[in-house]
Amino acid sequence: MTEEPYRWLEAIGNRREYISEQMKGATPVFAVSRPEGILLFGVGIGHSKVFEIYDRHGFAALGHPVDIEKLRQAAIEAAHVEGFNRSAKDVTLRRLISFALSTTLKNSFEQIFSPPLIVESIFAELGESPAHDVLVRVRYDGNHHYETSGVVVAASDRKREDEAAAWLRANLKTDDSVTRVAGLCLVVWQALADGKNLAELLPPDVLPTSVAGKTVEAALLDRKLPGAVQYRLLELK
Amino acid sequence: MNGDFLALLPKPAVPQFGANAPTTQPLHATTVFAFHCAAGVIIAGDHRATAGNIVFSDKTEKILELDSHSLMAIAGSPATAFEMGRTLQTSFEFYRRSQLQSMSLPAKIRALSQLLRNNLAGTIQGFGVVAPIFAGVEPNDPSAKPQIYFYDPLGAQFEATNYAGSGSGSGSIKSVLSFLERWGQPKPAEMSLEQAVVLANRLLMTAAEFDTATGGVHPEVREFATIKLVSPPGIRSISTAEQEQFWKEASK
Repeated sequence: MTEEPYRWLEAIGNRREYISEQMKGATPVFAVSRPEGILLFGVGIGHSKVFEIYDRHGFAALGHPVDIEKLRQAAIEAAHVEGFNRSAKDVTLRRLISFALSTTLKNSFEQIFSPPLIVESIFAELGESPAHDVLVRVRYDGNHHYETSGVVVAASDRKREDEAAAWLRANLKTDDSVTRVAGLCLVVWQALADGKNLAELLPPDVLPTSVAGKTVEAALLDRKLPGAVQYRLLELK
Repeated sequence: MNGDFLALLPKPAVPQFGANAPTTQPLHATTVFAFHCAAGVIIAGDHRATAGNIVFSDKTEKILELDSHSLMAIAGSPATAFEMGRTLQTSFEFYRRSQLQSMSLPAKIRALSQLLRNNLAGTIQGFGVVAPIFAGVEPNDPSAKPQIYFYDPLGAQFEATNYAGSGSGSGSIKSVLSFLERWGQPKPAEMSLEQAVVLANRLLMTAAEFDTATGGVHPEVREFATIKLVSPPGIRSISTAEQEQFWKEASK
């Protein structure tokens, strides 16, 4: 198959279709940079979607739970080896993603005789202020981009993902509490799950804190936590 | 993936000394000790590091927080001991993040034992000897009791029911603690946090009277011991300001 370029391209195209099909039904995850820290948010059914990676680093992902786990383990291993061999300050997303994670994802995607990693993800690195926060949207094929607006959404549909991020940017106020930001994430999560038109969506007076039958996960990379570890889980209720 | 951080490292984390080990005067750090009080476990250390009869530093920190619920007090070769501390810090956090649960207290106690055993070559040569104290409490268990363990340099672990000490000044301190456990009013295990902190500083000052390798505690110039409390919520450092306040109140 691989001796002919066309066949290889066809195989790659098939893999994209396969991944797209597998991702249908996966619900989005969010990362929002705020004065208090970086909020990571997701809604799951049994499997977690929001994780701690290192002292100042978090991760949120959707996709196949086993593949999320593979990517999470790779990130944790790379971060801890780097932090041990050098220092915690040397653990940066730019290096983790460029040299450890995106190459792993790209190799996995292009090795057409083995199954690809079905995972869409967001990585977050806490800085001293929101201007120094780093948010990275990492795609299943290793492609990634650094988001400077302070809001990142990862969803199975790119158009809906962009719409959700735009809605959040338009509806977030500078003095919103982290709990309110999480509530707004849940509003837009529900709208995406229900297939609603986000152009007509208005923030409700009372923000939801839960979804029937599902687990709402929120974590904060907290700028004010004493000590090295900045990650903590948030209770929304 | 089993949460074993050491398996990721290409070589032993703690330096091994071969047959041609250097013969320079090794650096040593003393004195550290821990005892139970009413608030939990107090663990304390002086600030002096020596090389033979040379005071190398009077600002050494010998109580290393390994994670939010465990710590290690070092006595012996700082080079090896600090590296053991760093290895354990990374191992415990790696385990917690990768396995999505904290390592149990017995596993942490054992992890230090394994590092000591792996340091056999340095121990036998006398150059890299480490005799630490470990104190910790089981995380996520409000009813858990803090525990103290001390080790021999080959890795054997022993639980201290009342107190433990290590380093060249620890003999004096253990003698005083033994006396107080029998005839003290109150006994150390019954002391409040304030009383225990004052006692810890007084013990180190007493040890410094008989051991030149113990020093760096001078309350009259606001130089206090490194003191930490281990209790079910986790580790709490007793700041210089708090120690000064307790010291002044006890001196009234």
